Amino acid sequence: MKPGKSLRLTAAALAGVLALSACGGGDQAGDDGPASLRMTVWSANEAHLKLLNEIADEYRKSHPDVSAIKFDPLPFENYTTTLTTQIAGGNAPDLAWVFENSAPDFVSSGALLPLDDTLKKAEGYQYEDLSPATLKLWQDGGKLYAYPFSTSPFGVFVNTDLLKKAGQKTPAELIAAGQWTWDAALAAAGATQRATGKAGLVIRDFDYKGWDNLSTFWAGWGAQAWSEDGKSCGFAAPEMVEAMTTLHKAIFTDKALPGPGTTADFFAGDAAMTITQISRASLLKDDGFAWDLVPLPAGPKGPYAVVGQAGIGVLKKSPHADAAADFLAFLTNPTNSAKLAQFFPPPRQSQLTAETLGKTNPKLKPEQLQKVVVDGITSGVVKPSHAGQAELSQQVRASLDPLWKPDADVKAVLDGVCAKIQPLLAK
Amino acid sequence: MNRDLSPRTKLVLYGVLLVLAIPFVFPTWWMVTSSLKPVSDIFAFPPQLLPVSPRLDAYQRVFELQPFGRQYLNSLYIALVVTVGTLAVSALSGYAFARIRFRGQNVLFLVVLAGLLIPSEVTIVPLFQMFFKLNLVDTHWPLILVPILGAPSVLATFIMRQFFISLPGELEEAARVDGLGRFATFWKIALPLSRPALGAVAIFTFLHSWNLYLEPIVFLSSPEKFTLPQALTQFVDAYGGPMWNVQLAAASMTALPVLIVFVIAQKQFVEGLAHTGLKG
Amino acid sequence: MSQTDTRVGGVEAPPTLGGGRRPYWTSRRRDQLTGYLFIAPQLLGSVVFVILPLLLVVWYSLHEWNVLAGTFDFVGADNYAALADDPNLGSVLRATGLFSVGLVVLNLGLALLLAVLLNQKLRGTIVFRTLFFSPVVVSLVAWTIVWGFLLQDNGGLNGLLDTVGVDGPNWLRGEGSAMLSVIVVQVFKNVGLNMVLFLAALQGVPAELYEAAEVDGASRLRQFWRITVPLISPTILLTSIITVVGSLQVFAQIAVLTQGGPGTSTTVLVYYLYQQAFQFHHFGYGATLSIVLFGIVLALTVLQWQMRKRWVFHES
Repeated sequence: MKPGKSLRLTAAALAGVLALSACGGGDQAGDDGPASLRMTVWSANEAHLKLLNEIADEYRKSHPDVSAIKFDPLPFENYTTTLTTQIAGGNAPDLAWVFENSAPDFVSSGALLPLDDTLKKAEGYQYEDLSPATLKLWQDGGKLYAYPFSTSPFGVFVNTDLLKKAGQKTPAELIAAGQWTWDAALAAAGATQRATGKAGLVIRDFDYKGWDNLSTFWAGWGAQAWSEDGKSCGFAAPEMVEAMTTLHKAIFTDKALPGPGTTADFFAGDAAMTITQISRASLLKDDGFAWDLVPLPAGPKGPYAVVGQAGIGVLKKSPHADAAADFLAFLTNPTNSAKLAQFFPPPRQSQLTAETLGKTNPKLKPEQLQKVVVDGITSGVVKPSHAGQAELSQQVRASLDPLWKPDADVKAVLDGVCAKIQPLLAK
Repeated sequence: MNRDLSPRTKLVLYGVLLVLAIPFVFPTWWMVTSSLKPVSDIFAFPPQLLPVSPRLDAYQRVFELQPFGRQYLNSLYIALVVTVGTLAVSALSGYAFARIRFRGQNVLFLVVLAGLLIPSEVTIVPLFQMFFKLNLVDTHWPLILVPILGAPSVLATFIMRQFFISLPGELEEAARVDGLGRFATFWKIALPLSRPALGAVAIFTFLHSWNLYLEPIVFLSSPEKFTLPQALTQFVDAYGGPMWNVQLAAASMTALPVLIVFVIAQKQFVEGLAHTGLKG
Repeated sequence: MSQTDTRVGGVEAPPTLGGGRRPYWTSRRRDQLTGYLFIAPQLLGSVVFVILPLLLVVWYSLHEWNVLAGTFDFVGADNYAALADDPNLGSVLRATGLFSVGLVVLNLGLALLLAVLLNQKLRGTIVFRTLFFSPVVVSLVAWTIVWGFLLQDNGGLNGLLDTVGVDGPNWLRGEGSAMLSVIVVQVFKNVGLNMVLFLAALQGVPAELYEAAEVDGASRLRQFWRITVPLISPTILLTSIITVVGSLQVFAQIAVLTQGGPGTSTTVLVYYLYQQAFQFHHFGYGATLSIVLFGIVLALTVLQWQMRKRWVFHES
């Protein structure tokens, strides 16, 4: 037999073995030795990680069977894609942070471990303290699949120095006068831009790509991306058209918001106002400009609040799923919840007071915490989420692109969005 | 062409060349000068061609935020190992396909050539699963084995084969008459002659490995194992906003050494390329 | 044992010295073995790292693979049928065609132009050669990041245009300009390589041919088309194959600069594949698209290779 032939036969056998084992990738045997847990997160912020590691170290003191707990930051922008690719490749973590917009996909997939029993049984956990409204998105068929460790309302950070420089009233003054509306906010933003050359208002993380952040704007008009049941498109509804027309004018005519392709970082002092979540307060420098934090301005339909959520889930496939769930219970018990509240507002009603939050959040005043955080969480509507999120989101984004031109026909573009996504919503 | 040109024509030609050179040079210029500016100046309008108050803290931050020195070494040693390995594999294969007659060689050559036609995005998921089963993810093994034995080295084999085909057969005949076996003929006669082709292959291969982006991202997850192109994309603030000056500083450090080496060695490189037989 | 001629194809029994026994390991067979051994690493590597993954991809394309739910169901040719129903596929193929054609034409044209310019008798062409080649050695990610920077609406390029009074468009956000931008960024990155190849080819054209043409009164342009181009046509063919194949694999630039936008104007096939497989988690469908991509690359390469008989000038 020719040597080349035997080589090829060996290769074929090898190929066969690999092919059989390569699909699925879910047959990892559970091991009995000390467990090592990995949690994927999207924050590489030093302060966040320090706190998480402190809590993890404490847990391991009383649980020697857990040899290590590693927090693995994945890039924020592609977090969900990277996480899913890890799972696909057979390299799933034990725990993972989950964005609210991908909650429906993860929760209904069966990939996550139900947490109710573990959490309820944990000593001193006080499961009843969790606010039912915050849990809604993370439950399926009556079971909780991910713990919403952060319910973070959106607020407006204001650079009061810049506004004063442009001769504008600060939002605090407008609120006191009962005039803190979107019209007023946009007017102030536009005026500041003209006077100082810096950007007026920046909707952070939008950048003409992350459209779901626009919900912080259009909710004021009572518009929504899709109906509650997720089956009908809300983009072509009159409320949405009105909201988007106002936004379009603000961007292209009044230049109150920076246009596409222009970057302005509020925390570097380049914008007068920014809409973002309070956890970004850690980006404020103590010796920087004077700032304030206020609730979102009222829209034509009145005052409103929008919240983003983040959950932590345990992957069922993990060989240490039970140990992971146990750690999750520890991480989110009342004591640690209060510690984490500094960055991540918890779903615990007893801790959602300005007083408690203020203890761990030195930067924010009690008044700000009450108005923006506490009130926001109780009354806020969550950012849009839907099953099949990745594809739907991309489709919306691509269909919205024609809107970001000076001469766009708002109604036509929005009709186009609905035309494109209706088939996806029906799935 | 050896015809003399009028001074006017020369001037026009220089002018055209200068204008054409701008888009080639400007980005590199921008990269280096911006790395010396504070972030706010980078986006200043009108843009500053030279930094107003140059500072090196972006460079300092590069090393603080990532084990950049380590990553530099990673990229370097991987590229070197891959280059040496590819030279060995492709020289042997190229020689065999060019000079040795064995059954089925045309079919086998086509099989090998298929590697040139398959983009890495297509094969990355199965490759990841393979290495995961072998417990070799988050190591450098995938980044070394796949380029040496897989698709990227096929171009190298192709180049070596073209070169060996163009070698006169008499040299080998003479060696045969002297009683040299096939390997000795390869090692002592053909290989030394193939220096220009080897040079070109070395440079291609080194650059390809140095610039690999998708593979490190898929296979590596610990920062101290990252390679440079991967590290470049990690310089983001806690919420994913790029830290422009730091990124550009890291990019400059990635590009400049290779550029400098190229400037020094470019005569050999360009001539090596020209002799690869790629010109047909 | 007498010498056998190794250049003759096929296995030949060597003449024997005496008796009828033929040893197995003739030098012919030993040589063949050496041949197989030499190519063994490459061949084995190709099978394990290229052919095998490709087969696995075909296998995936026959399944519906829901990563999160952990299901992997055989669906036969459903994914391939879905190609016909995919509303995006038409625009993806169009974008791919536009990108590749634009890239190849611009790249080869510019490379030839630069090579011709550098082939003139001018001092300091080495400096220019270095400048034009420098982007090839700069890291792709670095190059793309810098350009992404320069192409912003308030970035370097528009700033430069502003100084001469031109109001530059929002390069990465306009449908036509975004495509143009990605093409140009890629062209400038790699044109140096083709330029060097053309330069080497140009230098191989014998000067006497031009002199004879001068004598006959042919203009420079005519000389270029009638002499230069035919004689460097093998190089043109080879670089065009390499550039076409390369153009169908361009991914990082699009991922960094436009993410396939605005709309879907820069979503080429390889990027669409990435979206389907890695972003939308339709791994089965993504695998199907990979096979389509491979098919296109294969077809174009074979086509170009066959055409060499038609328009490559052979000096026989």
